[in-house]
Amino acid sequence: MTKLEVYDPAMCCSTGICGPEVDPALVAFAADLNWVAEQGIAVQRYNLGTEPQEFAANPAVIKEMEAGMDRLPIIAVDGHIVSTGVYLSRDQLAAKLGLVQPKPRIAVAAGGSCCSPKSGCC
Amino acid sequence: MALPTVGTRILFFTGKGGVGKTSLSCATGLALAEAGGQVLIVSTDPASNLDEVLGTALTATPTAIAGAPGLFALNIDPEAAAFVYKERMVGPYRGILPAAAIASMEEQFSGACTVEIAAFDEFAKLLGDPGTTAAFDHVIFDTAPTGHTLRLLTLPSAWTEFIASSTGGASCLGPLAGLEKQKALYAATVAQLADPAVTTLVLVSRPEPSALREAERTRGELAELGVSNLRLALNGTFAAAQPGDAIADAMTERGRAALAGMPAGLARLPRSETPLLPQGTVGLASLRAMSAADIPVPPSLDPLPPLVLPGGLEALVAEIAAAGHGVIMTMGKGGVGKTTLAAAIAVALTRQGHSVTLSTTDPAAHVRDAVAGEVAGLTVTRIDPEREVADYRDEVLAKAGGSLDAAGRAMLEEDLRSPCTEEIAVFRAFARTVDGGKDGFVVLDTAPTGHTILLLDAAEAYHREVSRTQADLPDAVRSLLPRLRDPAFTRTLIVTLAEATPVHEAERLQQDLARAGIAPFAWIVNQSLLASGTADPLLAQRGRAEIPFIERVSRSLSPRTALIPWRSPATA
Repeated sequence: MTKLEVYDPAMCCSTGICGPEVDPALVAFAADLNWVAEQGIAVQRYNLGTEPQEFAANPAVIKEMEAGMDRLPIIAVDGHIVSTGVYLSRDQLAAKLGLVQPKPRIAVAAGGSCCSPKSGCC
Repeated sequence: MALPTVGTRILFFTGKGGVGKTSLSCATGLALAEAGGQVLIVSTDPASNLDEVLGTALTATPTAIAGAPGLFALNIDPEAAAFVYKERMVGPYRGILPAAAIASMEEQFSGACTVEIAAFDEFAKLLGDPGTTAAFDHVIFDTAPTGHTLRLLTLPSAWTEFIASSTGGASCLGPLAGLEKQKALYAATVAQLADPAVTTLVLVSRPEPSALREAERTRGELAELGVSNLRLALNGTFAAAQPGDAIADAMTERGRAALAGMPAGLARLPRSETPLLPQGTVGLASLRAMSAADIPVPPSLDPLPPLVLPGGLEALVAEIAAAGHGVIMTMGKGGVGKTTLAAAIAVALTRQGHSVTLSTTDPAAHVRDAVAGEVAGLTVTRIDPEREVADYRDEVLAKAGGSLDAAGRAMLEEDLRSPCTEEIAVFRAFARTVDGGKDGFVVLDTAPTGHTILLLDAAEAYHREVSRTQADLPDAVRSLLPRLRDPAFTRTLIVTLAEATPVHEAERLQQDLARAGIAPFAWIVNQSLLASGTADPLLAQRGRAEIPFIERVSRSLSPRTALIPWRSPATA
């Protein structure tokens, strides 16, 4: 079974609803991951704020973070990093995973963490 | 009887800020200890003054109270608890993850919600895990002001529900994901609270309509949570020893009317009445006096020394009116009269021909009641959390939900049910209201101290976040903190009473504001018996005790001071 792993920046929720403004890229990405999982891919999502052990256990991920925190999110397929600093679109995810996805989509740059640090949500 | 009767091992005191929860819980604890029990008093209030009332420096573990064998107390400082929680989560990764990663993790653990949960965690340990308090015959919780208390009490069921129904996995529990492991402990906490054989909840109120209304609201909410073993403790009851003094008569009448008009649900509860004392309630001797059966007779007073007292509101209002527009925020602990003063200032500005909006973020306030009738040119609004949350949800679903399929939309809706949505929604409303101050006057009767600080803290986080993201933000949000810090735009008025604890707490508030870069415009010393001119022996003695506090405020704490005489609310 193909495995997709996402290393998110420290944030309080993965849909992005708890920032000062909703980041539509995060909302769409959460929905796209859901779709990917439905296609039979094992999806794992790690949040730096709550699952630092997953980051610490992966030397390649640590190396990226040392180069800059803007490398997050890191997306890996079967242990190989396939993208950094961007939430891939459904179309791009499908391409990386060799899935068929008819509806074209456009990639959006990652808009920082979903949740402002002291917004009261985290 | 002067103190509530105690039939259970665990006692909670709850009520509007300033009604005397700390004094009553300490007096009750002291009485139980003096009857031979081992008693632990616990405060979870971030602005706790338990140390001051008991005269002993406290920590997060039980400390024996000097001069009261069998009496112990501990103070849970939610911020310290949050720090420990943060260290537990982040500490193991120092030196393993890059410094920037550590910093971004720490940021996630610095928010209001982490503080709240960390405090609750401590509270659940005491209540839900019998081992930690096994040595005590009674455990008394001097809880934080009502809104905070209720949040604390409703959290277990809210979060249990949330954890149970959450299917998305990585949902908005975020940094508090560790909570899931505590489920059993929280369930035990809720069970203890609702068990009438284990827990008594004491609703503390002053004999005043607004405090009684608040107590009734709390009673209703607790009943919904399944908490039924309730008592009513009326604190500060007063009847003039002899008629003839206008102030004493008005105070007697107000108390009588408030009790006569008490909501039926409260009137049915077992009740205790603690009389108004001629002195404060700091120190063990004063606490013992609270449980005494007789009202102490004050000694005769010496003639009043010559004093120059600060003036009333008029000079302050004149100075504010000269600016033509801006935001006026009344801040202070609950119960000091922020709502009444905000309304008085708003009405005075309106009468001078200005366009004024009077608004509150305090869910417990009754701003409308404070403005007697309609005043032309004055708009009264309330930031209603429920409505703000509903609006925010609709907005998010309209904006982000449109492009999603059914599964994505369901996931988004689920996240919108999380506890953080309310904070965000209310905050946006606050920013919008402050924005109104660029054209006319906006008078904000803000929420009690702790919450207010969190609000400003949130403003700070917003400010930082806003300066580094390209997100599509309303101007009102972007300019909020600079406006709150601009003394020509925002005038902060600290409201206090001329008593030890309120002045002490107002000083802490002033320090907190200083850290946020905000310098108050003036202090208002409210409800002064000294300025009222009463000749009633008990009230005059209380008035005499105000002098050092009034002097301290006007000489060393504030650039401008207004002193407002005690008035019956009917004429205020």
